Amino acid sequence: MEDLTLVLRRTAKEILEKGEAQMVIGWEKGAFWYSSTSAFISKPEDTERLIWDEYCVNNLAKYLLDYRHKEGKVAVFVKGCDSRALNVLLQDKQLKREKILIIGLACPGMKDEVEARKLGRGSSIPLYKKCRECRYPNALNYDFFIGEDKVIKEIPAQDDFSEVQALESLSPDEKYNKFVANYERCLRCYACRNICPACNCRECIFDRTASGWSSKANNVSENMFFALTRALHVAGRCVGCGECERACPVNIPIMLLNKKIIQDINALFGEYEAGTDVTAKLPLGGFEFTDPEEFM
Amino acid sequence: MSVNEVTWQPKILVFACNWCTYAGADLTGLSRLQYPATVRILRVPCSGRINPQFVLKAFQKGVDAVLVAGCHPGDCHYTTGNYFTRRRFLIMRRLMEYVGLEPERLQARWISAAEAPKFQQVITEISEQIRALGPNRKLRDEEWKI
Repeated sequence: MEDLTLVLRRTAKEILEKGEAQMVIGWEKGAFWYSSTSAFISKPEDTERLIWDEYCVNNLAKYLLDYRHKEGKVAVFVKGCDSRALNVLLQDKQLKREKILIIGLACPGMKDEVEARKLGRGSSIPLYKKCRECRYPNALNYDFFIGEDKVIKEIPAQDDFSEVQALESLSPDEKYNKFVANYERCLRCYACRNICPACNCRECIFDRTASGWSSKANNVSENMFFALTRALHVAGRCVGCGECERACPVNIPIMLLNKKIIQDINALFGEYEAGTDVTAKLPLGGFEFTDPEEFM
Repeated sequence: MSVNEVTWQPKILVFACNWCTYAGADLTGLSRLQYPATVRILRVPCSGRINPQFVLKAFQKGVDAVLVAGCHPGDCHYTTGNYFTRRRFLIMRRLMEYVGLEPERLQARWISAAEAPKFQQVITEISEQIRALGPNRKLRDEEWKI
């Protein structure tokens, strides 16, 4: 990946020198060897800071929202999952395609930061679970592509819903107890919301306690209200990037809810993979006369 | 406020669309058809108005079951509102079951303005099911805990 880093820097430098974009969003080395952090580069000489290694896990697509009202273009580097996230933002009409310059990358899968910290430098560090299950490692929608546009890892044929199905087979009380056990420890820091590319409402009901929908009280009931509302809010738009789980400080398996919804949408309304097609209609933004009938 | 186990009666919230189910419920009364007094009817302009948050909030505030009811497909006053509701609640019912809520506690029905006997029958049926299940203890707010 070292040689690609050089290509990355060169591309970013060219873009800035030619004035094709006002800013390039990429990654730079973080505080530790096992962390890479987002970098916002607007001077050609600063492009030397950019890197591309196996810890560039941050999804940069959502940062574009901060610059949508600024003049000029913003260039952004995207991996496969980031590309799907960006597509969702475009589908939601949160961004104008002509105001962004997308540089696609082929992602070999990112290494687990937490494991890296535990195992130490030099040991073989496993990939994130979401990267092992990833089916779209290459950027899907881009202006330039860096690296070879080919499959660089083994790709599973289908999404893995085994955890969801295991949970489904339990009795209602068992399911509820598991759910409570997970959300009891939620701090309601909203890191999952802040990092989620599908959570792009300008105003979030969880920021407006005066509306009466949600209080600041941290109890299981409020936490579950938050979890279920958020899951239903991102239904049909969750790209399965798993950033919510990574950002969660108390390790709540948030994707269990999101995956359940993805599985149901596939089963009820036909196969749908969020963010793989910018022109696709959102499953919950429309309907078919032939939808399954359960209302009776 | 706590709920007494002995005097407990099911508390069922019905989201009724203004054009069909609400009129249907009205006709039930006008026709002197008796149905259990365990229901609370909340009128909404269209079943498409029912946000999943409304349902979650109802469970938080101590409701034992929620019925979402609207016009039959094709009958919507706003042409397509109920088709959106159908998709939304297919997903929501499955999600609520997935987190451990009994399927009887969140139900959905199409009830037209002329279907007074159906309204009576549905309410009686749900009321009996919830009576058998007992009070809902899931998702409840601290102050409404039983």
